[in-house]
Amino acid sequence: MDVIAADGPKGSLELSDNGLLHLRWLPGVNIEVDDARVAMAKVNELCQQEQHPMLVDMEAVGSVSRQARAVWSIPCSASRIALLGTSPVDRVLANFFLGVHVPPCPTRFFTSRSQALDWLSTGD
Amino acid sequence: MISENSGEDPRLRQLVDGIVRLAAGDLSTRMTPSENRDDIDAVIAGVNLLAEELEHIYSDLEQRVADRTAMLRRTQAELEQMAKTDALTGLANRILLNERIQEALQNSTASGKAPAVLVLDLDSFKAINDTLGHGAGDAVLVEVATRLLSAVRATDTVARLGGDEFAVVITESTQNEILQIAHRASEKLQDSLRIGSETVWAMASIGVCISAPGDSAESLMRDADIAMYQAKGQGRNNVQLFHPDMLLAVQERSRITAELRNAVSGGELALQYQPVVELASGRVTGLEALLRWHHPARGLIMPDSFIRIAEESGLILELGRWVLHEGVAQLRRWNETAPNLTDFCLHINLSAAELFRSDLLADIRETLDRNHVAPQRLVLEITETVLMSRGTTEEQVLGGLRDLGVGLQIDDFGTGYSSISYLRSLPADTVKVDQSLIQDIGSDPQQQKFVAAILQLISAAGLKAIVEGIETAEQAEQLQAMGCLYGQGYYYGRPQPPEQVLDRLESLAQRRYS
Repeated sequence: MDVIAADGPKGSLELSDNGLLHLRWLPGVNIEVDDARVAMAKVNELCQQEQHPMLVDMEAVGSVSRQARAVWSIPCSASRIALLGTSPVDRVLANFFLGVHVPPCPTRFFTSRSQALDWLSTGD
Repeated sequence: MISENSGEDPRLRQLVDGIVRLAAGDLSTRMTPSENRDDIDAVIAGVNLLAEELEHIYSDLEQRVADRTAMLRRTQAELEQMAKTDALTGLANRILLNERIQEALQNSTASGKAPAVLVLDLDSFKAINDTLGHGAGDAVLVEVATRLLSAVRATDTVARLGGDEFAVVITESTQNEILQIAHRASEKLQDSLRIGSETVWAMASIGVCISAPGDSAESLMRDADIAMYQAKGQGRNNVQLFHPDMLLAVQERSRITAELRNAVSGGELALQYQPVVELASGRVTGLEALLRWHHPARGLIMPDSFIRIAEESGLILELGRWVLHEGVAQLRRWNETAPNLTDFCLHINLSAAELFRSDLLADIRETLDRNHVAPQRLVLEITETVLMSRGTTEEQVLGGLRDLGVGLQIDDFGTGYSSISYLRSLPADTVKVDQSLIQDIGSDPQQQKFVAAILQLISAAGLKAIVEGIETAEQAEQLQAMGCLYGQGYYYGRPQPPEQVLDRLESLAQRRYS
């Protein structure tokens, strides 16, 4: 898989040759507004005006601040976003993201990677 | 993670404590989830997120309340500013002026300095408005405001009271400093100003009142206003400092005005009559009606003490109407009582303001008709100032009076600013030479020549002269020798009440024929 990668101190971003963006947050990180802004800037940078589906690996993320969540209300190059987590904590974090802020593109929380990838690829 | 002692998960205790702190209002409370990321951690994470939301909403609300409060304060300040500012000039208005006077009075100390108020009234603003329009008038007011601001200090307040009236509050200063500011304001207004292609002047009469202990804002304004009227009375375009005598004079004037208003309806007015005599024959050719006020408390008041007040208050019109009605009615009564003694005219004084009385001509006509008196028997005495400066309205009224057949006489000739060339064109039949001109003719040959020349001048203009103030037989003879035809004065008789007039006419007639 050819990837274009952009790594940061709290996570990494890849755009694979099949057009999927994959944002991975490192386990235990507390995501602040600046982290979110950096991540979004990297998304836009990698996509170069094109829209791509994005898988966000948020398993084991420590916390996401309110302002960081608000960053993801701004439209970016992601055409749809699948939030992937496993624990009840991930589910709570993801649903606060979905419930309190209105995402600019279709966004859903998944506990199954394959279901998340299916949803991203089919658009259903 | 489950405590071995209690069998209870310590995260639950932490959760309860956290919720208690949140309930107590500490919205910054956060709890730390464990690495388990199980349901309890999910509840902890959820409570943390809810607390964060609550904190945000709370701070957002507080911010909005602060913003709104600030906006309300700004709006209130703007409204206050608008409510206290004159919209045209941007100066303080009467409300703010009053506040500033009160502040200045409160802040004054026993330092030998005192706050003061200037009241300024433009001298010829109405003419600017009337001839150039209100737009020009507004431009003048704005320029005056600018000039006044440049004349005062930063601590002083300039206000527009309305119309063409301005005021200045001067904070604690010495009398010299206050008068300097007043004169500086006056000087700033001496320069002309351009309105379009026109050049106009906006000079002011300025009254100054320096506060004394116990003064209120109201009394300061009132006294500065009185001083301003004093400045107006002294020829305008000058500065007058208030003195308590001015207030007494105003109060006296105000009292007389009120009493005079009642005098007409209360029957306190009366007419006395003084004969006008043909010098050569001693024949009474006229009787001048002279107004007297029998005040219930102060006794007899002569017209010198109240005619000017009547003119200023507009009461002169009512007085004039009463004099006309009473004088002509008296003439009718004499006609009825002694028809053989009534070949004389009735002289009545007409004030300048009465020429503008819209019903003057009709009133005179109806009064004469009602009393069966021929118009030729009525002579209206009008001061030379009125006749000299007559405008279109006066001209029309004078023409109407002549058409009516009423005689016109120039009164007090020699006291105003008579123009010799005008004498020929005056719409009058007779001229009454003021008594001041003949006072010294017995002893001063130069004055004798001067009076003779005036009499010749009147004669050359085709008018007949009456000299008033004749007190001696010598004066009467001298005037007769100079060619004067008619005279009036104590020598021929003092003013008398109507019931004594016929007796005097009879005795004068007997003297003539004896």
